Amino acid sequence: MAMDDRTIIAILFHWAIAILLAPLFVGIISKTKAILAAKVGPSLFQPYYDIVKLFQKGVVYSRTTTWIFRVAPVIVLAVMLVLALMIPFGIVKAPIRFAGDIFLIAYLLGMARFFIIAAALDTGYSMEGMGASREAFFSCLAELALFMNFVTLAFKTKSLSLSSMIGADAPVRWEVFGPSLFLVVISLFIVILAENCRIPVDDPDTHLELTMVHEVMILDHSGPDLAYMLYASAMKLFLFMNILVPIITPIYSHDAVVGVIVFLAMLVGIAVTIGIVESSMARLRLNRVGNLLLIAFVLAFFGFVVALWKTI
Amino acid sequence: MEDMDSILRFPWHVPFGELFLKLDPLNALFLAAVAVLVACSSVYGIGYMRQYKGRKPLYVHVFFYVLLAASFVTVLLANNAILFLCAWETMSISTYFLIVFNDERSAARKAGFLYFIVAHSGTFCLFLMFLLMAQVSGTMNFDVISNTKFSSGLSGIIFILALMGFGVKAGFLPGHFWLPHAHPEAPSHVSALLSGIAIKTGIYGICRVLYILGVLPVWCGYLVLFIGVIAGLMGVLYALGQHELKKLLAYHSIENIGIITIGLGLGLIGKSCNQPYVSVLGFSGALFHVINHALFKGLLFLDAGAVIQRTKTGEIDRLGGVAKIMPLVSVLFLVGALSICGIPLFNGFMSEFLIYLGLFNGLFCLSLNGVVSCVIAILALALMGALALACFTKVYGSVFLGIPRETFPPQERPSSKLMLAPMMILAGICIWIGIAPWTVAHFTFCGGEYLSRIPSSTDHFSYVMGSLPAVIMVLIIFIAVASFLAFMKYRVSRGTLVTGRATWNCGYPVDSPKFQYTSSSFASSIVEYFKSVLFFKRHGERIDGYFPRHMTMHSGVKDFFEDSVFRPMFAKAVHLSRAVDKKNILFTQMYLMYIFIFLIFLMLWKLRG
Amino acid sequence: MEITWVDIICVLAVFLSLAIISTRRIVGMIQIFSLQSLLIGLLPLLINSGMPSAREILVAAGTILVKAALVPAVLFWAIRHVSMRSEIKPLIGFGTSVIIGAILIAGAFRMSLSLKIPWVAQYDLLVPCSLATMILGFMLLVTRTRAITQVVGYLVMENGIFLFALLLFDVMPLLVEMGILLDIFVAVFIMAIIVNHINEEFEHAPATFNREKMGESI
Repeated sequence: MAMDDRTIIAILFHWAIAILLAPLFVGIISKTKAILAAKVGPSLFQPYYDIVKLFQKGVVYSRTTTWIFRVAPVIVLAVMLVLALMIPFGIVKAPIRFAGDIFLIAYLLGMARFFIIAAALDTGYSMEGMGASREAFFSCLAELALFMNFVTLAFKTKSLSLSSMIGADAPVRWEVFGPSLFLVVISLFIVILAENCRIPVDDPDTHLELTMVHEVMILDHSGPDLAYMLYASAMKLFLFMNILVPIITPIYSHDAVVGVIVFLAMLVGIAVTIGIVESSMARLRLNRVGNLLLIAFVLAFFGFVVALWKTI
Repeated sequence: MEDMDSILRFPWHVPFGELFLKLDPLNALFLAAVAVLVACSSVYGIGYMRQYKGRKPLYVHVFFYVLLAASFVTVLLANNAILFLCAWETMSISTYFLIVFNDERSAARKAGFLYFIVAHSGTFCLFLMFLLMAQVSGTMNFDVISNTKFSSGLSGIIFILALMGFGVKAGFLPGHFWLPHAHPEAPSHVSALLSGIAIKTGIYGICRVLYILGVLPVWCGYLVLFIGVIAGLMGVLYALGQHELKKLLAYHSIENIGIITIGLGLGLIGKSCNQPYVSVLGFSGALFHVINHALFKGLLFLDAGAVIQRTKTGEIDRLGGVAKIMPLVSVLFLVGALSICGIPLFNGFMSEFLIYLGLFNGLFCLSLNGVVSCVIAILALALMGALALACFTKVYGSVFLGIPRETFPPQERPSSKLMLAPMMILAGICIWIGIAPWTVAHFTFCGGEYLSRIPSSTDHFSYVMGSLPAVIMVLIIFIAVASFLAFMKYRVSRGTLVTGRATWNCGYPVDSPKFQYTSSSFASSIVEYFKSVLFFKRHGERIDGYFPRHMTMHSGVKDFFEDSVFRPMFAKAVHLSRAVDKKNILFTQMYLMYIFIFLIFLMLWKLRG
Repeated sequence: MEITWVDIICVLAVFLSLAIISTRRIVGMIQIFSLQSLLIGLLPLLINSGMPSAREILVAAGTILVKAALVPAVLFWAIRHVSMRSEIKPLIGFGTSVIIGAILIAGAFRMSLSLKIPWVAQYDLLVPCSLATMILGFMLLVTRTRAITQVVGYLVMENGIFLFALLLFDVMPLLVEMGILLDIFVAVFIMAIIVNHINEEFEHAPATFNREKMGESI
């Protein structure tokens, strides 16, 4: 692709949106949970304040850790920032898109996961090891469900680029894709909950090893490292929500203002829904989480079967 | 790339035999992998074998090593069936002698013997197959056989025989059980050769038979794909349950053979359904993965050898914190681990990318059965990738990171540069292919088109090559962003960095390995989830009471085919032969009886036909 | 191809059958079944376009009344004394049964490819989804150990058969429909009475009788 001014500006603009907006949605989820619990709750911009505060703190490294521990937050955040360029926002296509970019996205997430798990095992303590083991297990099933969703979407849209698959350049028609799309949406929602460590898969608020997957893996990071990790998880949530948004957006208009308002409204809607789900359920027992992810997989599989049937 | 001419052609006094060596796009790829890996592991071997100087006859080992390398080259280049079989047998025999190098260990002797039996059973099928082919075409020359037409049923039978014969060598699932015994027992540079090249000769044989047969019925493609899916999934699941370093790597070889076979199956399905694009992508992905696997598996085995030599043990649960005493080796192992998991920036991602592209394109344009097979293969590949990531984080974290679980023996000699240099070369090639794949991809596409029997052209793969620059651009942006973030972090934390404390440990500032997660605990959630498939068993007592006494526990994964199918079969065969032996028939009489029975059989056959 | 409400309800029916298979709580199973019957009961109104005729309204109302209201009420009454409200020790684990359910759904779709049923546009997904619901209900019936779960499986199978019978809706006489509904209701009622009697028997059992173990199978 030619690197002219428009493309560079598009890349920078895309990045700016992702960098600025990502932590806001973590704040929205916390606020929703607080309101449902009849509390005032933290400010909507609390994650921003947390990140800034952490940058001002010092960093402590244990003598058990190696260079992997120091390098992991950098790699994880770099992966999320690069992914921000490959995921479309609403009807704005991703600046970097090509046939097969879904595989690069999935395996870049795998790279981030490898380094988080390695950094957790680097500390030499059982809590982080526990979180790492659970993360490795859940990611197997979550990856299966995610790829099944990709297969269904690719089969329906006959395209291999994420922007075309989820309808960022041609709106995905519910009338055409129908019931299989409904199943894909539910399956993707469960995958979002699992990959971003929300209830019912993981509890992001407590800091006990019994209830954590993601929080415990980053337990030993401090200062700017922890800031990078928090920011990366907020960005991951934002990017996953953006995969869901174009599929469920009901209104399409070419007017820029209306498009932006609809896009933001859908994002806020998904964040509020996640908050409601988190408030209304308890975290599942760990051996039940596997079954939940299997259900997500089977729903996507059924969606594929229906889509396949419709073409015969 | 036009067909290359024959390199060597001499008549041979063996009937039907001919010393005919020919290079073509398919051979060239395998040869490249052989060249790199043999060179690296030879240099490594010089350094590795120094510890045995004076204690064992090294010249025997070197003789068989050279013989093995020569037989690899001959097997790959042979264009005559008799020459191929001779080279194949030489390969098996020299491998046996290399495996039993440590013959004072009974495990090594048993492993070698098991390998010997299984390899020869495979060669038996190969003999049958070549005889069938020669009977129809009248000659043992591969070129002539390629041009003869086989009936659909006959080509099916030939292909099944090829799958059985070559599959046992490659490690397809029912016949894989020799691999996890033989590869760990051999010295590390030999293990690298075995995992990197020897099992690929099985894949090469299947590719060659594919090419020779030309048109195959459609069910062959589905069968190959299915075999690949089973081999891949079971390989990685078994690997998760292992706690010995080299055995784990051997099971991972089975998984990667599964990935290669999925690519081959996809190519076959594409060819049978007349979808050249899918077919080329499938075959090229498989061939690319052959090269990549040779490189990173070689690297991993050489690394494992260095670790085992230094720490005198291969048990993962007795290692830990090796990165502090062997920093360079741990970085190289990390490169190998990232490559095998298919992480971008390294070569494993590129071949899996091609195979995924082929599978998804197959989704769009194949028939219903093809679509179902592609979906199963895609899901299997995704699951394999995630399980491989779990397995290698387990290995890397438990062996190299954390706190040592047992004290290391003192270092007897400084680490040999001869051992480090080949590993660094292999790691460098892995990274180079990951960042600049088009150099190798071009050759694999030629090989893929050769196998699909379509004329070589550049516009077939320009579509795919169009995606690769975008991938590279993403990787370059990633490196730039990562560097920027690292720099920013360094600037911010420069004055306030504190190191040298113990891990927080919930307030117990004690560096004790007893707090650490072991590798079996790490893998336990996955292994117990797949308990029914893996026959995971835990033997030992359960803790009860508040002050438990000293207890032992032992858990492990049972290889189903080995323990429930083949060992009972072998035991029955041994039992039967002992029973026949006991009947007090004399030696010559027994063999006269065999000859008599065979003559009767021949007469009946001739009378019928 | 246009997506109709019939398609959506068929897909939802299979989705809810999957939900029944994957849940452990008996109360949850009965509630999901009630929802499934409600959705399926709405189908006679949507099958033929235009205003629904009196017969369609009658069948829909009867189905919803019996299967979505009466039968669940009877089931809840039957388990009112049972303290253990979850499925324990099924023949195959929950994860495995979900995967097998997926394979069975694929098998149902494959099977309905070969069935030579005259194809009508708006009934496109009806046949495979009904087969899938039937097979899933049958699987529930066969692989669970508690009697209540087996009855729910039988009822889900019955829902699948009803879906399939919608194909013949125009020709099947009203009497047959009502007769089927009556059969279902009677079967569930009898089962509830038996469970109730067994429970009452345990109330008066001697203390040495292992109530927990016996109660498991109810």
